[in-house]
Amino acid sequence: MKRHLTTTLAATAALALLTACGGGGDSGSGQTADGKQILKVALWNYATTPEFKAIIEGFENANPDIDVEPVDILADDYSEKVTTMLAGGDSTDVLTMKNVIDYSRFGTRGQLVPLTDEAKKLDPAKQSGLDAYDLDGKYYALPYRQDFWVLYYNKTLLKQAGVAESKLQNLSWDGYATLAKSLTKGDGANKVYGAHQHTWRSVVQATAAAQAGGDLLGGDYGFFKDQYRMTLDLQQGGTLMPWATASSQKITYDTMFATGKAALMPMGTWYASRLLADTKSGKTKVEWGMAPLPQRATDGKVTTFGSPTAFAVNKNSKHTDAAKKFVEWAASEAGATAVAKAGVTPSLQTQAILDTYFALPGVPNDAVAKSAFKPGEVVLEMPVGDKSSDVDQILVEEHELIMTGEKSLDDGLAEMSKRVKNEVG
Amino acid sequence: MTVTLPASPRTQVGRRRSNTWVGWSFILPNFLGFAVLTLVPVIASLALAFLDWDSYSTPRWVGLANFERMIHNDTFWTALRNTAYYAVGHVPLTLCAALGFAVLLNQRLRGVRFFRTALFFPYITSLVAVAVVWNMLLSPELGPVNQFLRAIGIDHPPGWTTSTTWAMPAVILASVWRDLGYYMILYLAGLQTIPGELYEAAQVDGASGWQRFWNITVPSLRPTTFFVLIMLTISSFKVFDLVQVMTEGGPGRSTLVLSQVIFREGITQGRFGYSSAVSMVLFVIVLTITVVQFQWQRRSER
Amino acid sequence: MTLTISPPAPVEAPPAEVPRPRRRPSVRRAFAYLLLVVLSVAVLVPFAWMVSSSLKLDAEVFSVPIRWIPAEFHWDNFTRIWERIPLVTYLRNSVFLSLVITALQVLTGSFAAYGFAKVRFPGRDALFLAYLATIAVPWQAYMVPQYIIMQKAGLVNTHLSLILLQAFGAFGVFLMRQYYLTIPDELSEAARLDGLSEYGIWARIILPLSKPALASLALLTFVNTWNDYMGPFIYLTDNKLWTIQLGLRSFVGLYDAEYAMIMTGSVLSVLPILVIFLLGQKYFVQGIATSGMK
Repeated sequence: MKRHLTTTLAATAALALLTACGGGGDSGSGQTADGKQILKVALWNYATTPEFKAIIEGFENANPDIDVEPVDILADDYSEKVTTMLAGGDSTDVLTMKNVIDYSRFGTRGQLVPLTDEAKKLDPAKQSGLDAYDLDGKYYALPYRQDFWVLYYNKTLLKQAGVAESKLQNLSWDGYATLAKSLTKGDGANKVYGAHQHTWRSVVQATAAAQAGGDLLGGDYGFFKDQYRMTLDLQQGGTLMPWATASSQKITYDTMFATGKAALMPMGTWYASRLLADTKSGKTKVEWGMAPLPQRATDGKVTTFGSPTAFAVNKNSKHTDAAKKFVEWAASEAGATAVAKAGVTPSLQTQAILDTYFALPGVPNDAVAKSAFKPGEVVLEMPVGDKSSDVDQILVEEHELIMTGEKSLDDGLAEMSKRVKNEVG
Repeated sequence: MTVTLPASPRTQVGRRRSNTWVGWSFILPNFLGFAVLTLVPVIASLALAFLDWDSYSTPRWVGLANFERMIHNDTFWTALRNTAYYAVGHVPLTLCAALGFAVLLNQRLRGVRFFRTALFFPYITSLVAVAVVWNMLLSPELGPVNQFLRAIGIDHPPGWTTSTTWAMPAVILASVWRDLGYYMILYLAGLQTIPGELYEAAQVDGASGWQRFWNITVPSLRPTTFFVLIMLTISSFKVFDLVQVMTEGGPGRSTLVLSQVIFREGITQGRFGYSSAVSMVLFVIVLTITVVQFQWQRRSER
Repeated sequence: MTLTISPPAPVEAPPAEVPRPRRRPSVRRAFAYLLLVVLSVAVLVPFAWMVSSSLKLDAEVFSVPIRWIPAEFHWDNFTRIWERIPLVTYLRNSVFLSLVITALQVLTGSFAAYGFAKVRFPGRDALFLAYLATIAVPWQAYMVPQYIIMQKAGLVNTHLSLILLQAFGAFGVFLMRQYYLTIPDELSEAARLDGLSEYGIWARIILPLSKPALASLALLTFVNTWNDYMGPFIYLTDNKLWTIQLGLRSFVGLYDAEYAMIMTGSVLSVLPILVIFLLGQKYFVQGIATSGMK
């Protein structure tokens, strides 16, 4: 019995090690059995992110000699994994740049192949978000997707309150606040909030920066004031779910909007593709529409903020030419059409591509929605610089304190400025 | 290989040599894997504290610059204070709770298996569930905890995770609850080593239950307690997951801990030198506590 | 070095449980039960939330106030998850990794612990401190150097990398060493006189005596490996190698997450641990500490 225990343990361990050695492995040859070039693309959640499949399939059809192999990484910690992989000398050919801050880090370290010539071929007027990738005149990535913020609304709730949808076409933040207050009703578990603003700092801060023309890296944050005051006022009056509750209960914006608990919601265009899918599968019964993001003034000009997503070529790639081809294709008209057909907003924005998008079944294609998709200006959500992520951290922390009421608005704003000036740079 | 007693002075030298050989032969299988895959990277990461490294470019020697930046950095001090606060709360509470329940559940009680399993459940429950339910229980307005506090006459109950003052106690509470079952398992194993006749002898002498606990159980469990204490101290100073999911270090920086700073500065921001300097501080603190406990335990063994 | 309170073991010893108190047994007992029942309920509340969420739609998971009983029971979540992700593969990988790592950790850990607890040689305590010291460094600090070593060894993206990484930790050595310290030296001295080698003493005397510690080490290692996310995430890229925890995280998207699926998966992933736990329990009730000398 006693010996039995030891031998069992030893045998299990030995056997396990032997079988483990067989597992895994790397197809390092770079070619498939039928002689196609293998191109590895690092991306996230391949199964649930439709535009990746659309781009890869489209690219393979256009380039039959290349076989794209997705390297699927979890979205949650994508950048951390890519950083670690590159530190170990990984040679995955194409890397998806999740956000511009990561991009500038990889770019300035010299981990990406310069794509300046390829970027110069693109039309900056139509390639929305391209200028975000300008690092001192050099480009290391080309955007294929650009999300920007719009105002989602629940058509049924608006109809019940007798509000015409066209009213949303040219809405100011004051108008938004008044409307949200009037749409709030019910109590307890049946409460319907007039609006929902997600817990992210960008909902307040990036909006203010884009529309009031403030600099998020500047260290002087007085320009946040109006936007914060409106938000705090709505929260105080019970029009918004308290920030502290939403944050600690991990309330998702999808919960609020897709179950009809909020009538208005500023959110990024990525949410439209989720709503499309959920409406199709019957998971949500909410009738939804999109309007332009409310503005400071009602002069008809629409300024919103957004963030592009791009592909870049790994410096360690052994197939640089094929990789560049892929990145260029994704940013091209053909790539943008494939992205739009997947229900996602491409970086290249032409009338033809907008038409493709609005022709998709289920996309609200009334005049209000169409104007939402033609913003006058899309400002980058967070400017790129070597201080961006440090400033971001400070802004997040102080945002929490203001929204939970742990600090008064003035104190919070003063603290932001003080900390950014003292701790960064 | 066999060692016989008693040994003469001459054979004692030989015995020591053969003991060294025998000792190492036991340790070697584990040590090989440990040395290559843990010890080397750990030493490398501590060496990084004197370098400037972004994970890609060639590291650059910067001497004590990382440490200099650290002592002037407000966030580092905040995180250090918070981590110490957390440890001071978490270690004794978890230790007492784990010991108490292990003793309770080492008795012949009906359904003891169910209770042991139930107490271990928090450790295997999804962290998201833990965070949401605790935040709900501690919700300032609607939570049952504050409703109870109001009912017993406390007009301004704490804001828990939404307040900078009370967020850390809330985190400690949740973490004691989560780790309780884990350390209880270790104590349960330790309790099996106490010979039953010790208790019988004590009972014959008329010792009360409380006396038996203090005079037999506690001293007999000393090696286990030493282990639990060190593991608890270390895990408290390294706490990461629970804080990350429950408060993300907030509100503001009120629950920010050192591991979060190490993670953010290192893998996220790419300042591996600075990140290593912070881990060096953490390492020195924990090591000091461990060595003190180790010496103290060795003295009490004699 | 050893505790002196333990007398040499008799051949037959009664179970090492705290005897029942003689006075007022019913009152105390009732109190203990009450405490345990209340506590068990309190302890299981988050788990109940998990189960309830696993039967909801994604958008219904988080709500204020919490809705404990789903408006509509979506039992199909439990069938749908098998179609959404290759759960069988993930579970198989998790079981494989957890079993192998646990076996190796228990085996090498208890072996090394004997060297640290029962053999005296110069440098022993310093070496032991080196073990302890590495536990004190957070993994976040050395994961990149470790990854580079693995990459150079060509082991990244294999199960072997994780096995090597986690099987030789200091935790098991430390736990077993502490347990061995409670086993009286007289036992091994007697065996030595009988002509047993040190290896024989470990295998035939010490190991059978340490079943409760082996069981708790095995259980805790299994649980930690099973629930580990960051290790597999960093080292396993190929989807065929993924573990259950990675599978669960694949429901977290860039901007949102499918929480009902995550909770469904979490409920499923707790079940194997439960089985292991119930199996391991019998080693905590036998009172075998002193009855091993037969």
